[in-house]
Amino acid sequence: MRSRQQKESDSLGKICLKGINAMEEKTLIQFRNIVMNFDDQLVLKNINLDIRENEFVTLLGPSGCGKTTLLRILGGFLEPTEGEVIFDGEDIAKLPPYKRELNTVFQKYALFPHMNVYDNIAFGLKIKKVSKDVIEQKVMKMLKLIGLEGYEKKNVTLLSGGQQQRVAIARALVNEPKVLLLDEPLGALDLKLRKEMQYELKRIQQEVGITFIYVTHDQEEALTMSDKIVVMRAGEIQQIGTPQEIYNTPVNRYVADFVGESNIIPGRMLDDYLVRFDDQNFECLDHGFSRNEPVDVVLRPEDLVIVPAEQGVLTGTVDSVLFKGMHYETIVETVPGTSVTVRMRIVKNNEVISADGKEKISANDFFVDIDDVKLLDDKEIVARADAQAWNPETDDYISISNIEYSVAEEEGEYPVVFSTKSGTMIQKMIYVVDQSIVKNVKANEAVMAFNFFKTADELMESQALDTDLKLWANAQGWKLSDENESVEMYADYDFDLDNIREGMSYRVTFSTTGRELKVRTVNYVEEGTEVGLKFGKNDIHVMKRMM
Amino acid sequence: MKRFSQLAVPYVVWSALMLLLPMIIVVFYSFTDGGNGIAAFQFTIKHYAKFFTDPDFLIVLWRSVKIAVKTTVICILLGYPAAYFIAGNSDRIRNILVLVITLPTWINMLVRTYAWIGILTKGGLVSSFLGLLGIKDTELLYTEAAVLIGMVYNFLPFMILQINTSLCKMDRSLLEASSDLGADGLQTFCRVTFPLSLPGVVSGISLVFLPAVSSFFIPKLLGGGQYFLIGNVIENQFITVGEWNFGSAISVIMAVLMMLSMYLVRYIEAKNSQVADS
Amino acid sequence: MKKNKKIFGKIIMLLTAAFFYLPIVYVVVFSFNSSKSLTAFKGFSLQWYEKMLRDSQMMQSLYTTILVAVIATVVSTIAGTLTAVGLSKSRKVIKDFVSQVNDFPIMNPEIVTAIGLMLFFITFRVERGLLTMILAHIAFCIPYVILSVMPKIRSLDPNLADAAMDLGATPAQALMQVIVPQISPGIFSGALIAFTMSFDDFIISYFVTGRGVKNLSIMVYTMSKRVNPSINAVSSLVIFLITIILVLINVVPLIRERAVKRAVKRQLPVRTSGNVTGAGQ
Repeated sequence: MRSRQQKESDSLGKICLKGINAMEEKTLIQFRNIVMNFDDQLVLKNINLDIRENEFVTLLGPSGCGKTTLLRILGGFLEPTEGEVIFDGEDIAKLPPYKRELNTVFQKYALFPHMNVYDNIAFGLKIKKVSKDVIEQKVMKMLKLIGLEGYEKKNVTLLSGGQQQRVAIARALVNEPKVLLLDEPLGALDLKLRKEMQYELKRIQQEVGITFIYVTHDQEEALTMSDKIVVMRAGEIQQIGTPQEIYNTPVNRYVADFVGESNIIPGRMLDDYLVRFDDQNFECLDHGFSRNEPVDVVLRPEDLVIVPAEQGVLTGTVDSVLFKGMHYETIVETVPGTSVTVRMRIVKNNEVISADGKEKISANDFFVDIDDVKLLDDKEIVARADAQAWNPETDDYISISNIEYSVAEEEGEYPVVFSTKSGTMIQKMIYVVDQSIVKNVKANEAVMAFNFFKTADELMESQALDTDLKLWANAQGWKLSDENESVEMYADYDFDLDNIREGMSYRVTFSTTGRELKVRTVNYVEEGTEVGLKFGKNDIHVMKRMM
Repeated sequence: MKRFSQLAVPYVVWSALMLLLPMIIVVFYSFTDGGNGIAAFQFTIKHYAKFFTDPDFLIVLWRSVKIAVKTTVICILLGYPAAYFIAGNSDRIRNILVLVITLPTWINMLVRTYAWIGILTKGGLVSSFLGLLGIKDTELLYTEAAVLIGMVYNFLPFMILQINTSLCKMDRSLLEASSDLGADGLQTFCRVTFPLSLPGVVSGISLVFLPAVSSFFIPKLLGGGQYFLIGNVIENQFITVGEWNFGSAISVIMAVLMMLSMYLVRYIEAKNSQVADS
Repeated sequence: MKKNKKIFGKIIMLLTAAFFYLPIVYVVVFSFNSSKSLTAFKGFSLQWYEKMLRDSQMMQSLYTTILVAVIATVVSTIAGTLTAVGLSKSRKVIKDFVSQVNDFPIMNPEIVTAIGLMLFFITFRVERGLLTMILAHIAFCIPYVILSVMPKIRSLDPNLADAAMDLGATPAQALMQVIVPQISPGIFSGALIAFTMSFDDFIISYFVTGRGVKNLSIMVYTMSKRVNPSINAVSSLVIFLITIILVLINVVPLIRERAVKRAVKRQLPVRTSGNVTGAGQ
């Protein structure tokens, strides 16, 4: 398990600005209250960020979070709407790119296609009118650094993606910038090459000893290479910290979710060092929240250990196991879901054919809760009964023009008649029942479903059986605390689709997922095993609930 | 990048001044009358009234439309087979053939039209050739036929190029699919090739019909003084008569008519392709 | 049946080509005629060329044509290229405006553009002559340059100019050293179109000229009523000129392409053997 001692000093889960590696280095770049507006769209909202010398800083976030915009402001390609960019003590927000002491490696590299490798790398030096032999010396040194000696006469458009990438880096570094900006430079490479280039970039950065500012949406890249990670979301910085800090002590659900795998559980902070979730109290190291403040709790899958049930802090059932190469991802259900089982009766084909054979009509009996009777109208009844009429020759639908029924808010059977314009009709039953609701107070959920009737054909024709079963059984799940918040359910059944017999009843169970925790294990644990989960108070990380 | 976008600013001003404003001035002249100072101009629609009430002008307009239609039809009839033949060759041969078609268009239109005078006149190449066939002393020059030849000669390359481009763009696999589905050569042509090349024909029509309606030096050189088209009327108003307001009105009428006819052609084409789709 | 179709196509093609080249051959042949006849070739002579050279009006119009074409080409190529670069980074409103307005001279009947410009010069009391002709030619040439440069710019990596400036190039240097070399084929074909459009132009020149300034087309138009075989001579001269230019344009790239191919071939062994051309040798 990773140690958590840093956490002690990181009070309140606040942004930690102190890099461990770069403690003594001086601050090189400061973004001060940067605001960026594109056509009335706020792309950056008051960004403040310090970057030190020789740091490898990664701006991490999904596309559209503003990370590339921030980089382009630093490069001089965009002027911020508001704010200062202080570089080495000077505000450069309005300085054009060609007067800045930093260079960029662009997305898709932007190599000059009409120049060979040598001329591409030499471009910046030629512009600065450096003497020819110095240029040659420096270019050769760069080619050596990137491992492309002998490629100087090559046409850049004929190079592989990885080689173009290296040339782009060399072209920027040859100017000896104080900062190198990299805009998703590995995005166009395949997975294997990307891994290789990650080490390569880190090596180059350590060798030349300058600041790298790296933009990516790939959390793994960020964790591998960076001294400092800046997690961004919707134009705002969420957290700044070392990879360890970002991983171990994410400030909120967004960061925890974006960086690494995590189990995020809603909970309540009872007191300093005491958090409650899933109806249990846990000691933890977090403090500084107000009493009973709603929080999110992170448990990283690799911090959880599976132990015999009686030794666990939590107990549960192994739900599924996935082999991930180096380890198993085991899902343990600690709080069971809520479920309801109904019967599906397979009925005979019950189409009615009109006298002239030009129309067919079909419908099913159905159940309805006594409380829902008042909600029934023509449309609802057609839907619940799945009533249809069609022309058997052309397969065109015919509208059901008339529905006759009388139904009272009292348990019993009520006939309903569906008919088309030309008089083809079918009679079915509405069963009004007092359906019981399955409540699960521990999980704060309730579910309910109805028995239903279907023909074998209807079952076979279903394109998405789970969804249809839910629809037919009118299965619903909701939060006890808020009836309008629905809970996702899945269907489970014991019948074999290829072997369904008319007149039989089959059981269909609808359940919610409950609380499932991802656990990283080395050993395989049989599905269905009762197990315990163990974790220490330093494995619990409490975060502020996001707005 | 802001720095570069500023490069477009001068041209925005220039194009507004040199391309947009002249059109506004033409429309302005067509609705006003006389006077030297801007203040002295008076709004009137009498130039339009004059054009539409004088049968002479309407006859000329009708004649211009007729000859332009004839030119266009002949260009399609001659141009389609030629374009079809060109498109059927390998890339290299096709490029050479396209070059053969385009080379003459690089030479001054007036010079090429002028050359026809010698060919069409009495005793010239055409009449000598017809003489060999027993048709003596034909004088084609200064007839409608001469004007038609001149127009087809000048505008046919555009038709061939447009149709050829649309034929070349066509996905070869469509033709294979068609024959795979049992269509014979003629059926494939009628049901697949021709409908798909229609956009080319349409843009070819616009490149032939529009300049044909408005042309004035071809009728002047090959039709002599007798054969007057709407372009010649406009020229006269500006160069000899000096009735700029009336000339402007005729130009506006012509431009509007041409725009309408183009929309009509495009509309029919769009409808056809819709029908073909469904 | 397939063969028949091929033969039919060949005949059509042959007839079309004959139709296109007949007048050109005719003009050239009769420019060497020893008689004044336009119908009967009496013998070889250069007299019409002599007459042409002595005809000051003709020589003047040739000079005007070339002068106007050269100025219009140079100005419209530079202006069109800069504008196209600017437009690629401009807002959509500006792009739409320019492309709409540029369509006027391309879509409108030429005679309407011509009288528009004529009335424009009259309205602003610019005396018609060489200057107005040059201005008009520039006006109708720029849209064609923009039209041929624009697609090339669109196919560029949008970061190229930024990359150049990032490496220290000023915007002007970025434009000249990075953008222009990339779009040079478009600029070149734009210039070619501009030159031939200007060189060939009759209708617009005819309406915007004044004070007896004539280009070749105007001269042919005004002289065509009288039989004057010198026109054949000057026409042949134009045909030779254009043919030479077109041959150069069509052959030079071929030669260059071959040279590039040869260079690539020479480079090939380098590529296969890894790193031979090595550092600092």
